Amino acid sequence: MIKDMCKVQILGPKGSLDETIKALHAMAVVHIETSRFGSDLDGTFFRKIPLEVGKVRERERLLKIKEELGNLRMLLIETPYSVVAETVDVDSIEGFLSTVKPVEERVKTLHSEKTAYMDELSSIERYGSVLRGFASMVSRLGGLNSFDIVGLTIDKAQTPVLKILEREIGEITSGKFEIYRKDLDEYTIAVVFAYPATFTASVRSLISGESINEIKLPDNYGDLPLMEVIKRMAGRRDALPGLIEDAEFEISVISANWQAKIEAFIDAIDDKVEEIGVLGYCSQTKYTFVIEGWAPSELLAPLIYEFKKLFGEKVVIRELEIKEEETDLIPVYVENPRLIKPFEIFLKALPTPRYGSVDPTPFVALFFPTFFGLIVGDVGYGLVILLLGLYLKKRFRRKEFFRDAAYVGTLCGASAIIFGVVFGELFGDLGEHLGIMHPLIFDRVKAVKPFMLLTLGIGVGHVILGFLIGMGNHLSRGRRKEAAGKFAYILLIISVLFTIGVAGKYLPEGLLTPGLVFMAFSMVLLILMEGLLAPLEFIKTIVNIVSYLRIMAVGMASVIMGVVANQIGGLVGSLILGIVVAGLLHTLNIALAILSPSIQSMRLHYVEFFSKFYEGGGREYKPFRKR
Amino acid sequence: MEKGLVALAAALAIGIPALATAWAQGKIGSSGAGTLAEKPELSGIVIIMIAIPETMVLFGFVVAILLLYT
Repeated sequence: MIKDMCKVQILGPKGSLDETIKALHAMAVVHIETSRFGSDLDGTFFRKIPLEVGKVRERERLLKIKEELGNLRMLLIETPYSVVAETVDVDSIEGFLSTVKPVEERVKTLHSEKTAYMDELSSIERYGSVLRGFASMVSRLGGLNSFDIVGLTIDKAQTPVLKILEREIGEITSGKFEIYRKDLDEYTIAVVFAYPATFTASVRSLISGESINEIKLPDNYGDLPLMEVIKRMAGRRDALPGLIEDAEFEISVISANWQAKIEAFIDAIDDKVEEIGVLGYCSQTKYTFVIEGWAPSELLAPLIYEFKKLFGEKVVIRELEIKEEETDLIPVYVENPRLIKPFEIFLKALPTPRYGSVDPTPFVALFFPTFFGLIVGDVGYGLVILLLGLYLKKRFRRKEFFRDAAYVGTLCGASAIIFGVVFGELFGDLGEHLGIMHPLIFDRVKAVKPFMLLTLGIGVGHVILGFLIGMGNHLSRGRRKEAAGKFAYILLIISVLFTIGVAGKYLPEGLLTPGLVFMAFSMVLLILMEGLLAPLEFIKTIVNIVSYLRIMAVGMASVIMGVVANQIGGLVGSLILGIVVAGLLHTLNIALAILSPSIQSMRLHYVEFFSKFYEGGGREYKPFRKR
Repeated sequence: MEKGLVALAAALAIGIPALATAWAQGKIGSSGAGTLAEKPELSGIVIIMIAIPETMVLFGFVVAILLLYT
């Protein structure tokens, strides 16, 4: 729900300003607003507080340190065994920096060592296979000092070049050469020419002139005989993965020890910089400072009490009257009980609700899992979704959004189990086949009409509830005409249903005339309250109600998919293969059963329900708080 | 004969709006993907936009059901 807010003003002697800001930061209650500068309030002239040179320098120094720590943090890796950081004091940052400097050097060295090892390993992988391929030829020629060898890599698309090269080398050496070729990979071939050493200069100038890639060994192998290179490469190839692992392990140990501390210091710097920055929001007279902002009404008394304890009568907090023109500036503080708080994620896709309007979270918490359960309605699927939700909740316990989404998923899974029992479904019709489950109300596949009426009924109820909330919202803010407009919509929906009931012979025929009169009266009231275009809007409302049929449509599709999965599984001759096939199809259906019902339920809320009462355009309440 | 025509009518009642919905969702989806590339915070609104044309196929579904079961 949206909490009541009050406007507060904090006044005190200028000497207590820093202490006051620290106290406000620690209490995390006041949403600080820019004070009025230059205005004549109570006959006093308010000026902006100039930022002292010392404070500006302090801020720049801290931001520079933050950048350095940020760079170091990027060198570290995420580790689940991180040491929990104790509370850090930003004043001890210099000492921390001198401690952390050698650590930074070590991590940089480890990273460069790791990179060098990886480069060496990749060059060994690349050249090793080529060299091994030619080992037998090289060992035969290696003993003869009068021979020279040149290795080349050529793109497969340019194979004709090889022919030209062969011809040219043949001309230079008068045919005294040998050629060996081997596929290096999909696109490249490696070629080795062996020729008398007397032709070395001419051959090499030919190759460099043709701009062909000569196989160049890494520097540390450059001057060694090829057989020695092959031997040494084999040894390094075995040793390098271990060396890379050692470097990674040391980086992870350092990360575990230092990451949390570094982050704590970065947060402490941010807090300090924020404390300096907030001075720009304050104003001053000759001897006093003034801070203005907003606080939740329920937290005002504890705030005043805490300030009295800290400052006595020196610093005063007083509540200011909220003027009419300030209503739109009041920040919105949405706070819900722990059980339904995770459903606030649905509000994140919408603009912040306006102050004084209605927070739809409690309604979403009730209806979203209900709609989801009605659509999925399968004990087996629900159980899988519930277990998945529990696992993800544990897995992402530190990531708020995913943890909340997993919690919502868990409740949706539970709801699907409940409706699964009601509809007698366990992995489609498997429960029925096994004789352990039977529909308690109706079979969704066969009882099309009752299910259709049920979903339409839910639609009528949900849309009318939306209008009722909107009506209450307008009434509470003294907007009677708008409230009457919402009421007219409700009357018109009821009158239309009434008339349909008579036409469908569900109600006595004699009620047709009163029904039509009732409808005409509602329509006139609607036009009077909402204008001439309101009847068109009413058609949209009817469409909104019909839209709830998606609960039935998507639900039916889901159950039929489940039934088909079992049938296809049954068609396979072998029992095990049948279970595997049906299992795969059910897995696909569960994936769809997570995605589609979520989107449909969300849409029913966002489009059909919220459009009746939700008012966006509010400002989010952001208290001045430490990280 | 009549049964076959009713079945065909039901198939058309859901099939044609399904094509229309698919066409509309395709257009909205591609625009939505472009929007999300620039403003990921609009994901909620994009989901709503994509889901809006589904009403067409729902009406088709209702007509098909009415044809088959009444």
